[in-house]
Amino acid sequence: MHPLPAPTAVVADDERLMREQIIARLKVAWPELLIVGEAGNGREAIAIVQSLEPDIVFLDISMPGMDGIQAAQALAGQVHVVFVTAHDQYAISAFEQGAVDYLLKPAEPERVALTCQRLRARLEQAPDPMHALLAQLSQRLGAGGPKPREYMRWVQASVGANLRMIPTSDILFFRAEDKYTRVQTRSFEALIRKPIKELIDELDPDEFWQIHRATVVRVDAVEQVSRNLRGHQVVHVKGSEEKLEVSRSYNHLFKQM
Amino acid sequence: MNTDQRNPGTDNAAAHGQSGAASRPMGIRQAFREIRKGIVVMWWGFFDWVAAVSWKALLLVSFLSLIIGGGIFNLPTLTFLLIVASFIIKVVAGGKRRAELTASQATRRAETEQLERMVLEARMEALQAQIEPHFLFNALASIDQLIQTDPPRASKMQQSLIRYLRSAMPEMRDGSRPTLGQQVNLSSAFLEIMAVRMEERLQPTVSVPEGLKSAVFPSMMLQTLVENAIKHGLEPKAEGGRLEIGAEIVDGQLAVHVLDTGIGFMPKSAGGVGLANVRARLQALYNGRAELIISVPPAGGTCATIRVPYEVVPAPAPA
Repeated sequence: MHPLPAPTAVVADDERLMREQIIARLKVAWPELLIVGEAGNGREAIAIVQSLEPDIVFLDISMPGMDGIQAAQALAGQVHVVFVTAHDQYAISAFEQGAVDYLLKPAEPERVALTCQRLRARLEQAPDPMHALLAQLSQRLGAGGPKPREYMRWVQASVGANLRMIPTSDILFFRAEDKYTRVQTRSFEALIRKPIKELIDELDPDEFWQIHRATVVRVDAVEQVSRNLRGHQVVHVKGSEEKLEVSRSYNHLFKQM
Repeated sequence: MNTDQRNPGTDNAAAHGQSGAASRPMGIRQAFREIRKGIVVMWWGFFDWVAAVSWKALLLVSFLSLIIGGGIFNLPTLTFLLIVASFIIKVVAGGKRRAELTASQATRRAETEQLERMVLEARMEALQAQIEPHFLFNALASIDQLIQTDPPRASKMQQSLIRYLRSAMPEMRDGSRPTLGQQVNLSSAFLEIMAVRMEERLQPTVSVPEGLKSAVFPSMMLQTLVENAIKHGLEPKAEGGRLEIGAEIVDGQLAVHVLDTGIGFMPKSAGGVGLANVRARLQALYNGRAELIISVPPAGGTCATIRVPYEVVPAPAPA
């Protein structure tokens, strides 16, 4: 299975100090192991593993860009994976089911020696693709997998000369005005280019209601609904003098209970 | 309780004869004082009742007392005088008295609200002051490695960690109002540790004028902004970038900002628990006179600014 006499490994961690530490301890615990490469993030780790084809990769879980779990998913079955993590109770409980090994930072020399022992025994076998484990891990860490639909929580808008991020919880309503959409908060107004039609798709339907072709209001900001002289429903908003007309097709939103 | 104790005393005095003569007028005087006190209490009770009661109820009671007092006890003049007097009291003092009552009720309500806000703020501060175990273990792992390769740097990093823990642990803080200086020191210690770990991927600068360091600034808020800038801005960016802490006075307000050149703010980021917490605490502490503004600098990245009323901690009096 392994024609090379000396086993090889790649170490991936975004912190140089941590790479140095694991390499130094591996040298003591397993002098024959050759460290053939180092990576600073998940993407680099994949590229190096795929070009150098080492027997083992030591992967830090939290790395910029692509994390250790995603890298392991991409490399599943190609290499033996050992995760290295500073603190992660989920990962630990998952690894206790015994598919691959994990190391806690700072990795104690005795613990590294144990890992090496396990790896020596494992090298005879083909790398475990770890499908079940990785799926479980990525789900627990919230990386990959089907995610619940994400809605806009911040609106990027120009206020005077500045570009501001306005939390949606501060917004009273959106209103279409000529080429722009006006964003109204309690204390100021801002303009964005995104039309109401596109906006409504990105907003949480539990947080914002469209009440008119040109108006979207935050449900929590609605103070009361009255009728104007023409018999239209009119929404009064807390913290604003403006009255918002409800068009007939949205009347059902404010039906009496 | 008082009267219970007095009774055996007077019995005793009566049995002894001589002292009885001296104690009897004392007893009468005491009783007289009690009665006077009772009348005063009753008068104010009546006054409060007249002041607060509705006109309709007052008229009804007057009518009833006319029947009872004037008809049954045959004292029509006295009853009539009493009714006229209570009407005059109501007209003259009623409004004022009622205003006083509402005012005291409002004060009590405001005090409750203030208390509720303080409790809320204390709870949220405790939440915000939590030290991330991930950070702590990573820092310790780095120190562990530096002890092998670079002991002087390990010692320096450990000192930074101690400085950080001393000011970040709520139980280690003294009770005085936190200043911007303390908060900047805390975050500087944190940044020193992160800079050792992230190396050239984190370039921190702290430019806070000395004169502003004595200004009052809520605890752990600057730290939340700094942690956010690293976690959501710089750490996810492979090449890292700059992080700047700055402070200035804008329109009489203290504006403290944390700017990073990281990957920028994600409009859909569900996170921002830390930011929501800062917002809620500012509301609880300053009731609308403070704000958190997130903006996007022209060169990209994120800039978070906290604006609070400018207030200086009085220098401690020399002991």
